[in-house]
Amino acid sequence: MDRDYMQTATLSFPEASSVFAEQSYVVEIPDCHKPRMGSCGIAGCINIDGSMISGSKIEKMITTMSERENGLGSGFVAYGLFPDFAEEYCMQFLFENEDSQAQTEELMSNWVYMIKDEKVPTFPQRSMMPPFPLVRRYFVRPKKGTEVYIRTGLNEEDYMVRLVMSINETVPGSYCVSSGKDMAVFKGSGYAREIAKFYDISRYKGSMWLSHSRFPTNSPGWWAGSHPISILDWSICHNGEITSYGVNRKLVEMAGYKCTLLTDSEVVTYLWDLMVRRHRLPPTAAAFAMAPWYYKDIERLPDNERRLANQLRITYKEAFLNGPFSILVGRSDPVVTMMALADRKKLRPLVMGVSGDGNSVYAASEECAIKSVQGDAEMWATRAGNPAIVKVGEGIVRRGTEAPFLGAI
Amino acid sequence: MKPIVTIPEKYRPAIDREACIRCKKCIKACSYGALDFKDDKVKVGKGCVACIRCVYECPTDAITVIELPKQFAPHAVFSPEIRRSLISQANSGGVLLSSCGANAEYMDIFNDILLDAAQVTNPSIDPLREPVETKTYLGRRPGKVVVDDNGKIDLDASETPIVVMDMPIMIGHISLGSISYNAQAALFRAATELNILAGTGEGGLHNDFYPMAKNLCAEVASGRFGVTSQYLKEVSCVDIKIGQGAKPGHGGHLPGEKVQKLISETRMIPLGTDALSPYPHHDIYSIEDLQQLISVLKESTEYEVPVGVKIAAVHNVGAIASGIVRAGADFLTIDGLRGGTGSAPRVIRDHAGMPIEIAVSAVDQRLEQEGLRDKVTLCASGSIRTAADMIKCIALGADVVGVCTSAMIAMGCTVCQQCHRGACSWGIATQKPELTSRLDIEIATQRIVNMFHAWNEELKEILGAMGIDSVESLVGNRDRLRYIGPNPRIAEILDVKHSGEGWG
Repeated sequence: MDRDYMQTATLSFPEASSVFAEQSYVVEIPDCHKPRMGSCGIAGCINIDGSMISGSKIEKMITTMSERENGLGSGFVAYGLFPDFAEEYCMQFLFENEDSQAQTEELMSNWVYMIKDEKVPTFPQRSMMPPFPLVRRYFVRPKKGTEVYIRTGLNEEDYMVRLVMSINETVPGSYCVSSGKDMAVFKGSGYAREIAKFYDISRYKGSMWLSHSRFPTNSPGWWAGSHPISILDWSICHNGEITSYGVNRKLVEMAGYKCTLLTDSEVVTYLWDLMVRRHRLPPTAAAFAMAPWYYKDIERLPDNERRLANQLRITYKEAFLNGPFSILVGRSDPVVTMMALADRKKLRPLVMGVSGDGNSVYAASEECAIKSVQGDAEMWATRAGNPAIVKVGEGIVRRGTEAPFLGAI
Repeated sequence: MKPIVTIPEKYRPAIDREACIRCKKCIKACSYGALDFKDDKVKVGKGCVACIRCVYECPTDAITVIELPKQFAPHAVFSPEIRRSLISQANSGGVLLSSCGANAEYMDIFNDILLDAAQVTNPSIDPLREPVETKTYLGRRPGKVVVDDNGKIDLDASETPIVVMDMPIMIGHISLGSISYNAQAALFRAATELNILAGTGEGGLHNDFYPMAKNLCAEVASGRFGVTSQYLKEVSCVDIKIGQGAKPGHGGHLPGEKVQKLISETRMIPLGTDALSPYPHHDIYSIEDLQQLISVLKESTEYEVPVGVKIAAVHNVGAIASGIVRAGADFLTIDGLRGGTGSAPRVIRDHAGMPIEIAVSAVDQRLEQEGLRDKVTLCASGSIRTAADMIKCIALGADVVGVCTSAMIAMGCTVCQQCHRGACSWGIATQKPELTSRLDIEIATQRIVNMFHAWNEELKEILGAMGIDSVESLVGNRDRLRYIGPNPRIAEILDVKHSGEGWG
């Protein structure tokens, strides 16, 4: 594989009209023969100036790639949703029934002050498969100084992680799908278009959106197991299959996370939280640990970078996500950030786009998702195992085509 | 006292009289005195052990070694083997010695484990077309890299002494003494050529082998034979041997017949004396003492090499392992029940310990529960016979596998279980000059290199089929194994699902 990373790879995509002649070559396939194509689709958009993006934009992006899903799960995450409650953790739940809600609220009352709670508006679609969960969100503050808090011996964030883990693990039928500040996850079992309608995504506005449509193959399709998978301010949309799952799970479970969602993608979220928030690694180093270079390529790096690369591989060998993947990572601490990363062979698609004015940046599995909302987008592809990073207020920090540790370590 | 019952012979060379040209090569070949030349023909006597050296030497293929029918009257409980050992004991009054690994029909769990492969959702990888990495590290890992207050990674504070190997394979500890100079030279040269590690065993290190020290792991055993400061400082890692899978609770046994001049110099012991290592280290009667020895060795090697501990797999191995890691061991070797030896009491060789499959999984799980697994390298040995065993052992939890018997077989060993007699006709487990000269170092080296090269290729093939492109992603990845044996309880203990169970 050509790994001349100093060169910037910019792909140009010709207009559709110049490729096809006037006559259409597309054959109409009868319904019964429509192929079940696909794998997961991911899409994300962010405005660098922090201005709000309507949910209908991300809905358009993800539904454009309808061939990448099979109706077994989809979801959205928005950042900058609750400016009035920006300092509170927003815990959004899927409850199977009233019992699970009551049990959860009882457990939570020992751990956190509830500032506000509300029902999340939902609109069950006729085409969707019942039963539908109760969706509720709580704006909470940790009960600092209480006996429960002191006994855990944790800092605020780890305390919140512990709360989420114990609810997901112990309360039957209750799943906390997001727990960060100023953000929320909307997900469920269904096609992306159905989930978008179920939550009426277009009613929300955020400075960054990520979304996912699912074609599960190795794990069951169910409401809580859909993506994005979120903890604190982290949210992950993952397209791929992790062949090293047993190893990755070990690392996160040793660090106190509990894998309860029956999907391999869960560990990706916890790995980001562990490495970047708890171990304070720069995101580029964490991305390198997850999708490291081959040793033969590491050999070619300058001295210091080689030492660093080897040390990351040695120390975080359990964080190495083997197998094909492309992921979108969102976080809001300290600023709203979108990261896009593909595996080190780039066996899953990932393209980036930026609007003509340079303010809106997009990431998606397929170009069509980006072109459907931003016709003038300049496109580029990230390199294998190379993260693209976009931050509100700072712009495109990395395009995903640079040297592995350039400027960040 | 004259034995009243003789033990029937088990094997017998059969000679094709028409093909035999009476060259007497077979008679010279037989180091067990089973062949003689009388009345102008080869005469077959007693004592054949089926080492098949005579078969190898015969220029006209006139010899076959046949297993004789059981002479004893059949009995379902007192098997011929049991009767044999009882008669031997009645004759000699002694502890029966034996060698190689356990020769008892314990359940072989490796054969009950099946590997996974990638289909559809993740692409399998062809190692001939795409890189599949097998580089492996041995030593303590920091658990996390140190990031300073400015958010910079502090490499100097993060790096620990670590050994890099090109394959997750270590040639186990086989001492000079139990095997010949030539045999050890071949093992060490092969390790150097393959860039893997080889253990020195407890017999110290011969002067000639110091140039290969970068690929050697020095053993410090209870006898402390040949442990000098040079020995500790020049090698790439140091291993404290507490126990060995073939004889848990015992020290090394080197019969006096094998202590010739070369051995006596390297071990620093008088000629012809039995070298029997103490059962425990006499300065380690507790975990605190072990901690002190680990510190002493780290001090004396100036914290530049990893210091590890090797124990036999015994019933409480998980807890013991966690204590050892907490005591400061950088790597940990678990040696299973079926592991080999140059000499051990048969009763302990065949009856004490625990299979490596269960031990490695138990230790891996225990270290994980205690949050220690990402800090230590786990080596597993004890009858890792083939690449398949190696792969399953890695998936059960080992970072590195230790291999001895298979490497010896590559050199010519036929596993006739006579190592303790010091008369190895292949020149491996002997010190008699006329026998050791039979082993050509160059050829033996090449054969070991060939075998491990093939193992590594097979490892890559399997990793590729699983959709994994680096061996570290297989370590302890028990999700990719399934159990198909007779006892589901074993699957539970191994933390491996039963064949037919998916993972969602």
